[in-house]
Amino acid sequence: MPIPAIRTRGLTKRYRDFVALDDLDLQVEAGEVFGYLGPNGAGKTTTIRLLLGLARPTSGKAEIFDRDCHRQTVEAHRRLAFVPAESGLWPSLTGEETLHILGRVQGGVDLAYRSELIERFELDPTKKVRAYSKGNRQKVLLIAALMTRPDLLVLDEPTSGLDPIMEEAFRHSVREARDRGQTIFLSSHILGEVEALCDRVAILRAGRMVEVGTLAQLRHLSALTIEATFNGPAPDLTQVPGVTRVVVEESRVHLQLQGPIAPLIEALASTDLQGLLSREPSLEELFLAIYESPIDFAQGHVSTAVAANEGNRP
Amino acid sequence: MTATLTGPRSDETTPSGRHPSTIIARQVGREAVRSGLLWGLAFGVFIVLQTSAYTSQYKTPVARAGLARAYGTNLGLNALLGQAKAINTVGGWVEWRFLGILSILGSVWGLLTSSRLLRGEEGAGRFDLLLVGQTTRGRATIQSLTGLAVGVMAMFVPILVGTIIVGHGASVGLHLGQSLALSAALISGSVMFLTIGSLTSQLVRTRERAAAFAGTLFAVAFALRMVADTVAGAHWLIWLSPLGWIEESHPLTGHDLSPLWIVLDMTIITSVATWRLAQIRDVGAAVFSGSDTSAPHLRLLGNPVTLAIRLARSTIGGWLLSVAAFVILIGATAESATADRSGSSGIGQALGRLGAYGSSVADYLGLTMLMVALIVAMIAATQMTAIRREEADGHLEVLLVRPLRRSSWLAGRVALSVLILVVTGVVGGLGTWIGAASQNAGISLGALILAGFNVVPPAIVLLGLGAMTYGLWPRKTGVVVYGYLAWSFLIEMAGGLRKVSHWLLNSSVFFHMTPAPATNPNWTSATIMIGLGAVGIFFGGFSFLRRDLQTDAGEMS
Repeated sequence: MPIPAIRTRGLTKRYRDFVALDDLDLQVEAGEVFGYLGPNGAGKTTTIRLLLGLARPTSGKAEIFDRDCHRQTVEAHRRLAFVPAESGLWPSLTGEETLHILGRVQGGVDLAYRSELIERFELDPTKKVRAYSKGNRQKVLLIAALMTRPDLLVLDEPTSGLDPIMEEAFRHSVREARDRGQTIFLSSHILGEVEALCDRVAILRAGRMVEVGTLAQLRHLSALTIEATFNGPAPDLTQVPGVTRVVVEESRVHLQLQGPIAPLIEALASTDLQGLLSREPSLEELFLAIYESPIDFAQGHVSTAVAANEGNRP
Repeated sequence: MTATLTGPRSDETTPSGRHPSTIIARQVGREAVRSGLLWGLAFGVFIVLQTSAYTSQYKTPVARAGLARAYGTNLGLNALLGQAKAINTVGGWVEWRFLGILSILGSVWGLLTSSRLLRGEEGAGRFDLLLVGQTTRGRATIQSLTGLAVGVMAMFVPILVGTIIVGHGASVGLHLGQSLALSAALISGSVMFLTIGSLTSQLVRTRERAAAFAGTLFAVAFALRMVADTVAGAHWLIWLSPLGWIEESHPLTGHDLSPLWIVLDMTIITSVATWRLAQIRDVGAAVFSGSDTSAPHLRLLGNPVTLAIRLARSTIGGWLLSVAAFVILIGATAESATADRSGSSGIGQALGRLGAYGSSVADYLGLTMLMVALIVAMIAATQMTAIRREEADGHLEVLLVRPLRRSSWLAGRVALSVLILVVTGVVGGLGTWIGAASQNAGISLGALILAGFNVVPPAIVLLGLGAMTYGLWPRKTGVVVYGYLAWSFLIEMAGGLRKVSHWLLNSSVFFHMTPAPATNPNWTSATIMIGLGAVGIFFGGFSFLRRDLQTDAGEMS
């Protein structure tokens, strides 16, 4: 049985009374691209800091390729590379010098690939870090992580500050890494990026994982997005069972439908309907649907709209 | 749920904060007041306790004359604190004692505070947000200087209260004008070095370099005053030293406060220069920024310890050069400074507490090596705060997410710090010997090298305390190491006056250091200090391995 790249069991982190991460059970298989989503403060960076051994868990366990993240930190780090959201680079070093020292500490640098990455990301390595823009500092961190071809890439908001061309270079590099069999753990707010790259996605809310699965699985659990156009003013559809997130633009209505479609069809039958478009939700819509659902604190877990409506799907 | 896509702007908008155009002054002022008030309170209490100790212990003119004979002719103390004038009177003694000690501590506070609040904040990018508000670059600098001025006022008030309290005593008898003049003189070192630190913050790009640059100027000022106060015929040098101007103000025994006007002029000149330089440079840059591009220089980029050497080499080099220049000067002037006063019984008495004996040159150098010990201890404090900054700025995370053990990193950084302390101590001893040998002062190289080693153990204790704080409460590292350093210095200075509680004396790390080369180093005491430092480093390291890394950016999201 293959060893998972990442495995956590009951991983919990508390800062005094605040629960940053609550009882996380997560498994990322070797070779997959795994998206990790959640709004600010949901616990994404806390998870990553626990995986990297930068923070100690209050309880539970985290492993990287079967190595305990806290007792065998160095062994675990030999197989991974990390790109943080914020640069902690040294302002007085040039890009080249920075890559050199980081390569010396990490070991195993593929020099030819490093040169290729410098070219791909259009980095001027003679500039000092203090003179780089945020995007260029991020490029240094990306190159430093990719150049050792690690078994696991842990990426925390890796494209913040990158322009669209460099964003594409990043996606190309991730696909290249996946094709080589490397595992990628991608925490990002850019849902399009996650949608384009990830095989599976986990969604975190208030320190708890509320969904995990492939995009197809998550979409199957979620609402349909419907756009209806009318000849004349749009009717009030807010009272139709299963209809949520209604947005009216003159004679056009956008809405989400959870549960059976029959009540909506029935309601539309009596209107002057001009056109009807129906599609599966994008990751962004899925994400928003989950986050607009109430948290069931009484039961000690999050009850999402998706979960609540799971049984209602036809 | 229905939503509309657009809507009119709400009439209910929040007002801007009070006086948005002064936000930088308030921001800097808040930080400076916190620190200035703390130091001012310590100074005020020191003034009250020391003066009451003096008046209760030396009640009669005969006793005070005895004290004056002991201390007035003591060249080592004159070199450290300035020339003693009329110290058989309460006013003379208060003036000499407090101006000597507090001008040194206040100056160090000034340069550290201004480099932290100006260059440190700018380097961290926090000024960028404020500078896009309702201000200009020039006004922002004026605001920063105003904030620092408020911080000095916060220091001034408790000092004034302290001088008023002691002035009301029947045996002291200072009127309000004298208390005001004394308090003004006491904070003038802080004022000058606040603006000097502000100026160096415009010249160089990092907080450490700005502080080191200002620290070098302080060392030069101190050395000049020292020579002026101890070498016959060289007293004119006092007018070249900012610390000399403070000494010459004699707020209680003199009738001419004009030297304080020079202090004021100097403060205005450095403030205007700061304001002007801030306007002509880019935010985040410095006058001496250097080039933003460079061919790669891969030396010293092999591992985290050599990286630390590379990043700090100019600062360390600056410290070493300053110490070398200082001790060579002291060594070169020791013979002439003591030539016409050898045989002074006062020196022996003054050093008695420390167990000193031997020739007057050796005594003189023994006391001045206390200043070297202070500098070496200060380097220990800067090393521990630099270690903390590596973590706070996120540099450590970049290293520790790679196959590098926390224990290896910390051990390497601490070992490097110890090496720097030892090298600085040896440079102190060697430089003193070079200076002394040039004048045939008759002190052997071996004795002075040992004296150099002798100043290291107190710094190791400070390093251990810093490491322990770093392991347990990393964000308090700077406060604890600098606070303990200032405390030790104050206690050391206070300890010379009277039989202060032995507990208090023992709490000063310098109290346990013998004044070599005036006497042989006490290796037992040195070993205990090194052991204490090692224990602190061990427990600090142990705690560090078991805690979360803590950056200034925060950890949770």
